[in-house]
Amino acid sequence: MVTILHGVALLGYLAVGVLQTVSFARGRADVPRGATALVGAAVLVQLGALVAFALRFGELPLVGLGPSLSTLAFLIALFLLFATLASDARPVGLVLLPVIVALLGAALLTGVRPTGEPLAFSGAWFSFHVVLAFVGVAGFAFAFAAGLLYLLQFRELKSKRFGRIFRFFPALHTLDRLGRGSAVVGFCALTAGLMLGWAWTIRFRGTFAMDDPQVIWGALTWVIFAGVLGARIGGPGSNRRAALVSVWGFALVVLAYVVLRLAQAGGAAFL
Amino acid sequence: MAVHVVGLSHHTTPLPIRERVALEAAELDDALHSLHYAGAAEVVILSTCNRTEIYARDGADAAAVDAARDFLCTRGGLSDDDAARFVYTRSEDEAARHLFRVVSGIDSLVLGEPQIQGQVRSAYELAARQNGRGRPAGPILSRLFETALSVGGRVRAETQLGAGAASVPSAAVALARKIFGSLEGRSTVIVGAGEMSELALQCLLDEGVSGVVVANRTAQRAEALVAKYGGAAATFDRLPELLRTASIVACATAAPHHVITAEMVARAFREGRRDPMLLLDIALPRDVEPAAGSIDGVFLYDVDDLQQVVDSTLAQRRGEIERADTIIGDGVAEFMTWYRGRSVVPVIQALRGHAERLRQAELERVLRSANLDPETAATVDVLTKQLLNKILHAPTTRLREAAKDGREGEVAEAARYLFGLDEIGGTD
Repeated sequence: MVTILHGVALLGYLAVGVLQTVSFARGRADVPRGATALVGAAVLVQLGALVAFALRFGELPLVGLGPSLSTLAFLIALFLLFATLASDARPVGLVLLPVIVALLGAALLTGVRPTGEPLAFSGAWFSFHVVLAFVGVAGFAFAFAAGLLYLLQFRELKSKRFGRIFRFFPALHTLDRLGRGSAVVGFCALTAGLMLGWAWTIRFRGTFAMDDPQVIWGALTWVIFAGVLGARIGGPGSNRRAALVSVWGFALVVLAYVVLRLAQAGGAAFL
Repeated sequence: MAVHVVGLSHHTTPLPIRERVALEAAELDDALHSLHYAGAAEVVILSTCNRTEIYARDGADAAAVDAARDFLCTRGGLSDDDAARFVYTRSEDEAARHLFRVVSGIDSLVLGEPQIQGQVRSAYELAARQNGRGRPAGPILSRLFETALSVGGRVRAETQLGAGAASVPSAAVALARKIFGSLEGRSTVIVGAGEMSELALQCLLDEGVSGVVVANRTAQRAEALVAKYGGAAATFDRLPELLRTASIVACATAAPHHVITAEMVARAFREGRRDPMLLLDIALPRDVEPAAGSIDGVFLYDVDDLQQVVDSTLAQRRGEIERADTIIGDGVAEFMTWYRGRSVVPVIQALRGHAERLRQAELERVLRSANLDPETAATVDVLTKQLLNKILHAPTTRLREAAKDGREGEVAEAARYLFGLDEIGGTD
């Protein structure tokens, strides 16, 4: 059931992604009206899949590569859904939906099942730590998508090319507002999540565990995220600078994850 | 009893003639009724600045086309040669297709423009209104226009034919929206106080901009514009200060030199401005130094750029015509099915009436001679009715199917011949 529901959700996201891509390729000014409803349906199905996971295995889908990637994809999809319901930002899905599909596809390929390894760090502290950290990463992913669209629309407007991007992408102001909002929410959540993790580590292990890949990746993500918010401070061009830092910052975070993950060959955990 | 459209439009006719033929709203009522009495059983007049078209259904003497053509020629003072050059006529499904293309904006001067839908609706509603002199738009034109409006709605909803900015002012607004999203509350400076400035101001006020300042070389003309639309007046010496805060700056002066220099804009950003600035330069020669456009956060567009937006939109719209035509084709098929179905109704009525009269006559004869009790007589009555219905079911269905296939004429003729309907008086 868990795998089937994940598969259905994946197909839903894929269908919306295709719909958006076709709309964009045809030079339409907007995404068909049913797209948001389809994203909502896919989010609900994935929620069902995650609940089914929790009921079947008696734990939240926060540990292990497959469950973690699925939860992360779910949170990114939630960001997308809220953003599209609250503003005319449906085209952000053009960037985010492939990310969601890739994460969910990877989750299904690796298997959405528990690792079976005993956890030293568990319980409510752990759940809050992971969920908040994932909300942070999802917020960063959204800021990345909004930033990428901002840069492309900015270039289109500056170079006076009034083609598909001009018609399909949202206004610069909308993209900037979405990027700022998701960055603030994501940064606050990530900060809280990391603080919970570090507090637990110091309390129960008496050390900061700076050689732990998760700690390295978390710290790096936080620093880059802080840089994204910092880029917004200042004079003219700060919006574009923030978009630029969001895009490169997120790319760096993903690269760092891949490198750390490869360094941990064969590990069943998220990191 | 055919449906026709007789008219002239921007495709065929120069403006001076279109102006002569066009009808004022106050003239339409009388025109509708004069056409009605001249031989059109039903009539609707669509008169806009780009077209005057008469949609009419023939009466008994099939004189609707002549009546409509005479009306247009008299009104426009057109000779026979002029009429042959300018006036077009379409009938039946081609008339329906023409109307559906008109209401969808495909036939408009500006492809996909939305106003035509409201104009068609008004024309139809005027003709459909009961006004004591009969209803010029009867059941067939009503159905035609209602289908047309529905098709027009579908075309707008399902294609991009109406999307984007198709005029220079709407292109300016579209650009502003792509930068700022909603323009509600955006501070605006209008540089210049001439006709173009006024047009720009109207467009931007329609979008909800606020804090408008009209800056002009002489305060007097700026104050005149402000008195009409609200806002504040200023002279050019205040421009550096205004550039620090204004989101949108629209320039349309007649000045022979740059009124806004790149240095003035750069200084505004150096002095703490953060938000993007939209500079719309609709003046010729240009008011804004082109180098200002290279400053980060500044979006500078001149008339050519705005025209480029319009061209891009129209190219996109042209690509949607094929999809719109598919929807229109569906609408024409739907209307023609209904319309042809109506043409076999008199034959069906005549057939059933004839058969019923025969049944009644035979039943009376039997009842008189056989001396049946009431219960048996009622049973025989029901039996004959059921028998009749069963016998007539197949011819009725075939007639309706023939109407759907466009063969209603030959099949109706065959039915009349086979059942001898013409001999007994045709319709019932």
